[in-house]
Amino acid sequence: MHLYVTGFEKLVSWKEGKTKKKQQTPKRNTEGMDPKLTEVSQLFERLKAALVRNDFDTCSRLLSQLKILLIEFKSLPPLFAETPNAIQELTLARDIYEHAVVLSVKMEDQDAFERDFFQLKPYYTDVGGRLPQSPQEYPILGLNLLRLLVQNRIAEFHTELELLSANALENPCIKHAVELEQSFMEGAYNRVLTARQTVPHETYVYFMDLLARTVRDEIAGCSEKAYDSLKVEDARQMLLLSSDQELFEYIKEEHPEWEVKNGWLVFNKAKESSASSKEIPSLQLINQTLSYARELERIV
Amino acid sequence: MTQDVEMKEQQVAVAPTNSTSSTTPVLQHLKEIAALIETGAYAREVRRILRAVRLTIALRRKLKVSVISSFLSFALAPGSEAHSRLSSYLPKDDQNDMEVDTETSATQTTVKHSSELEIYCYLLVLIFLIDQKKYSEAKACSSASIARLKNLNRRTVDVLASRLYFYYSLSYELTGDLSEIRGNLLALHRVATLRHDELGQETLLNLLLRNYLHYNLYDQAEKLRSKAPRFEAHSNQQFCRYLFYLGKIRTIQLEYTDAKESLLQAARKAPVAALGFRVQCNKWAVIVRLLLGEIPERTVFMQKGMEKALRPYFELTNAVRIGDLELFKTVAEKFSTTFSSDRTNNLIVRLRHNVIRTGLRNISISYSRISLADVAKKLRLDSPNPVADAESIVSKAIRDGAIDATLDHANRWMVSKETGDIYSTNEPQQAFNSRIAFCLNMHNEAVRALRFPPNSHKEKESAEKRRERHQQEQELAKHIAEEDDDDF
Repeated sequence: MHLYVTGFEKLVSWKEGKTKKKQQTPKRNTEGMDPKLTEVSQLFERLKAALVRNDFDTCSRLLSQLKILLIEFKSLPPLFAETPNAIQELTLARDIYEHAVVLSVKMEDQDAFERDFFQLKPYYTDVGGRLPQSPQEYPILGLNLLRLLVQNRIAEFHTELELLSANALENPCIKHAVELEQSFMEGAYNRVLTARQTVPHETYVYFMDLLARTVRDEIAGCSEKAYDSLKVEDARQMLLLSSDQELFEYIKEEHPEWEVKNGWLVFNKAKESSASSKEIPSLQLINQTLSYARELERIV
Repeated sequence: MTQDVEMKEQQVAVAPTNSTSSTTPVLQHLKEIAALIETGAYAREVRRILRAVRLTIALRRKLKVSVISSFLSFALAPGSEAHSRLSSYLPKDDQNDMEVDTETSATQTTVKHSSELEIYCYLLVLIFLIDQKKYSEAKACSSASIARLKNLNRRTVDVLASRLYFYYSLSYELTGDLSEIRGNLLALHRVATLRHDELGQETLLNLLLRNYLHYNLYDQAEKLRSKAPRFEAHSNQQFCRYLFYLGKIRTIQLEYTDAKESLLQAARKAPVAALGFRVQCNKWAVIVRLLLGEIPERTVFMQKGMEKALRPYFELTNAVRIGDLELFKTVAEKFSTTFSSDRTNNLIVRLRHNVIRTGLRNISISYSRISLADVAKKLRLDSPNPVADAESIVSKAIRDGAIDATLDHANRWMVSKETGDIYSTNEPQQAFNSRIAFCLNMHNEAVRALRFPPNSHKEKESAEKRRERHQQEQELAKHIAEEDDDDF
């Protein structure tokens, strides 16, 4: 857990360094006549500082203020007006939303992540050509792919994937998510779990933990069909649980139909229910035959 | 307004006879087409205009600058805004141009022309420019025509308009600026919907889908498609395109069964001449069928004119059929340029999983009991822990119903179950039922399609017979509709 937090600090301080360089542009502008831009960038500085401190309450408060202020910039989506400060405003807004996404991951709020990501996306797709590429783009896109995978929204996962160029697919952050999906589809769950050790970015850890939970449910579902019975010890290892106690709790919550007998876990019950029904489906057959008769009559 | 139209009608009758003396056969043809359009516009008969468009396409290869400019002078009043604008797009290289110009202008100056003819001139010039690869002029010309169309609201213009939309989009696609016109197309689609211009809606919806898919914006494409109004297709070509785009969207969104249906239907319905389109449909259909776990028949790849284009997909199918991961990898690498230009790369990555499944199925059929280490070796899984990988892969395959087997964790082997007698289950009956349903459905579709025969045979029947036939057909259709309602 400690490592996790320091990882974030590294990320944030590094990002800060990046935006500090950029700060000069808006500063110069203040001599001119855009007080709004100055106000936003000052608030943004405070947001970044709060994010470093992990002061989430302040962060969300500042963020909602910032979002309201951003609405007034005409150069931002959906208007894309060509104002003189367009590039600065767009860059600033993109930075803010990138931080918003990181914040939502830190706060472990998936809905907020989705919202913020969708607000951020036009900055990559629609005005991507006009701005210098953000170093955060691929990590965040990869993060989004991972989120879709965790939420088992595979169709959307592939839709997003189609939007990425061949270049982007080579990026370690994206590649990580793509390979995960493949292993997941194949059923090579070990590979999914070992991938946790090779995360390309610290923010990924939260989703990887969630993914582990999804994987556990998948393994449980597969084992139920594939094995007649398993030793409790083996089952515990396969389901990645640390103690027998946890295993029993998991069974009680998720699969109450499983049975534990003398150190063996028996799945048989789950199978019986699906293998039954040998009787003739008479009503269905009658309906079908009648419909054939009706259709034939129409033809002849 | 009506007076206007009548005047034109008289002029059309006279015009061809007036100017036959000095014109080439192509120009003569064009004038006949113009007459057809005028009659169509006057009588409000859309089919005449449709025919005019078809005839134009047949003339396409014979068009020359001189012919077009003299036709413009014939059809539009020289000096009028449309005339000068359209002539400005044409390259100037002919000196007898002028001759014809003056000659025709003498006879035509006083006559007003219908807007249909004006739009037709735009279309003609646009087709010519695209054929001559003058794309920037084509862009200018098409934009001008779209601007002109906005002020016209007549059903007879719709046919011409839908063709213009198509070439408008094509000219922008050829220069690679497709994203520029997306907003315009959306606006046009809205207008077409408001005017109940169904052909226009159909065409524009396809153009929009094409526009989105060009940039891989599958999400937007699907949202538009699912919300746009649908109605019975007016044009077979547009319907084929729609099916193709629909198939693509569904493939990306992993709805393989529906995708297969759309793609195969698109390939079947497409006209024989549209070879490129059918090849594309077949490529996608092959991949979708592979993803579904089906192996397409050899005849699919041997269709006339397609062998070469489908070759990479044939080898891919072969690799999947054998279930050999190594072979699959080499094929994917060997043809990677083809696959990336077809933009099927990501789909092929998805296929890896099917190759494993097929391999696994082969193993499970051949062995009644096999150790997991051997399974891993046979599947050529290269991973740090092949046995554990094989175990979880096999267990997932069992859960998904791909193979019928059980695992023994203690002994680390896989035991295939005896294949039971399938005729003791309901399986055959279900298969039989689905085939009967398919046949009956086909028959009903055919009857329904016959209800409105194309105008061609109308003249042959006497009025009485026709009435009789209509009545019969209507009854039958009503019957079918009622029965359909009953079923649900």
